[in-house]
Parts: sequence; C-alpha cells; structure tokens
Amino acid sequence: MNDILKGALVQLGAVDPDEYSKAFAHWRRDSELMRLMDASTTRLDSQKNTQKTIEKELEDQKVNQYFFTIRTLAEDKLIGDIGLNIVNWAGRDAFVGLGIGERDFWGRGYGTDAMKAILRYAFMEVNLRRVTLTVFEYNPRAIRSYEKAGFRHEGRMRGFLNREGKRWDELFMGILREEWMENNGNK
Amino acid sequence: MKDLFRGELVRLTAEEPDVRAKVEVHWQRDTEFHRLADSNPAGMESEKKLKAWFEKRNEDGFKPERYPFSVRTLDEDKLIGFFGLWLDLIYNEAWVGIGIGEREFWGKGYGTDMMKLCLQYAFTELNVHRVSLGLHAYNPRALRSYEKAGFRLEGRTRGDVARGGEHHDSLWMGILREEWILMQNGEPQ
Repeated sequence: MNDILKGALVQLGAVDPDEYSKAFAHWRRDSELMRLMDASTTRLDSQKNTQKTIEKELEDQKVNQYFFTIRTLAEDKLIGDIGLNIVNWAGRDAFVGLGIGERDFWGRGYGTDAMKAILRYAFMEVNLRRVTLTVFEYNPRAIRSYEKAGFRHEGRMRGFLNREGKRWDELFMGILREEWMENNGNK
Repeated sequence: MKDLFRGELVRLTAEEPDVRAKVEVHWQRDTEFHRLADSNPAGMESEKKLKAWFEKRNEDGFKPERYPFSVRTLDEDKLIGFFGLWLDLIYNEAWVGIGIGEREFWGKGYGTDMMKLCLQYAFTELNVHRVSLGLHAYNPRALRSYEKAGFRLEGRTRGDVARGGEHHDSLWMGILREEWILMQNGEPQ
C-alpha cells in the first residue's frame, strides 16, 4: 500500500500547536482568506489567544475529528490545514474543511491535491461512506477545485451570507464512496 | 418503523447511575451471576462507589462509541438487567455485553428478548456491519440464547479463564448484518 497521507504536491502532517498557531495567527490577518474559509465574523486575535484556542481544540479532539496540517512535499512548508469532522457515524458521513493559508499556493493545485489525499483517507482508512462540504458562492476557485476532486453539487442555502452589501449563497457539495471508487479504486 | 426500545417481554431504559448502583449492590452478592457475566474476580463494592462508577461512565454524555441500556420487564417494570454496545467506529463493528442480575428471570426468554432488541438497535439504528461477543464455555444457557438470537460460534480460546481451581475456555461469537437481515425475513440460517 502507498503512503495514504501523501499526494503529488503535499502531504498531510500532524498539528503541532506551537507551529500551527504561529502560522494561523499570521494567516488570519488576511481578511480575504478568512472570508473564504469561514462564515463567522472575521476578527483578529493575538497569537497567544489563537494558541490557547487551538490547544483546547486539539485537547478536545475526540474520536469524531481528524485534523491535519498541509505541507508541501518540496520544502515541507506548512501551507494550510484540512480536517474531517464526523457528524454522524451511523450515516458514516463527515464534513471536510480545507484552507490554504499561504496565498502563494493558491490556484496551483495544492488544495485539490490535499483534498484528494483526505478523501482517500476518509474512504480507505476511516471507512466513511460520504464526505460533505460547504463553500461560498463567491469562492469559484474552491468550487472548481472541489469539482476536480470529485465532489458534486447537491444544494444551496440562498442568501446565507451578507458581505459587502450583498447576499450570497452557501453551496453544499458531496461525494459518495462509490463515486470515489469509480475513479480511484485499486490505486 | 418498529419501537426500538420495546420487545415482547422487556423494554430498554437509560442507565441511571443511582438506580443502577442500587440494584448492582444486590446483584454483586450473587457470585454465580458474577462468574457468568464477568471475567474479573468477584468483589464487593459499596453503593457509593458503584454510583460513582456509573456516574463517571455517563459524565461526558453521549459518546458515539458507547451505548449502555438498563432493561425492565414490561409487566412489572422491574429492573432485571442491562446491556451495552461498544463500537469500533472505524471498522463499524460492535461488541455487546449483557447480563440479567435477577435470577428468577433466567432461562425464561428475557435474555433472548433483550438480545433481539440489542441487535435491532445495532443493525437498524447504529448501522453496524457486525456484532461480536464473548462468553464463558461454562455458560451453556447463554450460548443457546445467543444462538437463538442469531449469533454463530466463531472461535474458542482454550483455558484462558481460571475459576474454582480449573481452567475454562472462552467462546467468541458473531453475527453479520446480512445474516441478521435474512433472519428478519424469516429465512433459515
């Protein structure tokens, strides 16, 4: 079997609270990034507070969460994070969240590569049956990336967000294990 | 849809630490029961300590890998036993532990009724792929009851339990989802 946490451009790594909170405190100053990643109000927070929050989150990380850093294969650089949150074990469904914090790595296939790796992990290691995500209408780059990774459009919450004086939809996308297997089986 | 919490003889209730500790005080005095249901040495605990143990088990609320139940009779609402399902979430399988503390309800179909509810819950609500259990080879009544509920004998570890100066085997049983579904459709095993 191949290294299931390794893609073509990135590998998924552990979350070290010191390293990750330093990086995240830096990323969160980028309000465009925060608005792409999160529906809640974009705010600033000190590195210390950020670290506290993250340490608490890691401590609380239970059986329902699988959280990784995204690192480039070329330089082992921490460029983002990705995680599965299993909302319903009986349905074997997880929400996936992905963010590339380092702008230099936007639009170059790194996110798609990380998503492909976590889908393989979700279906082949955690044995899930589907993976769900939400993405905002104003993030076409992400939508394209998720489509490339195999996600299909499943629905939308109209006018979910109010940003810059305009209402935007939240889109729901999903992928079933059978669909993933069609393209990735026996690999 | 069927009532998940009601069988022909018993119903399932939540595990209440104080109620459960109260009956456990009586049940633990029955060393034969203990030796049938458990592989640890029989011991005595105070009600206070038992209550604390059940409280600790329930303090974090619902956990996706643990489903404990207390069992009451339908006709008198008497608390007679318990069962719990422990899931391996990744492999989607469950282990079951089950016991009837009240002796007068042994050998009368109560345990089988409990196990039917247990399997119904495991396969139709938790959607697990299989359910496993272990028992002592010196407990043929349990073996028969589990077989009736649909379990198949899958293995035996020889002489791994020492009791009363002798070594005894442990038996391992399992039932797959497909087998349970066939049984529900009335097809022979």
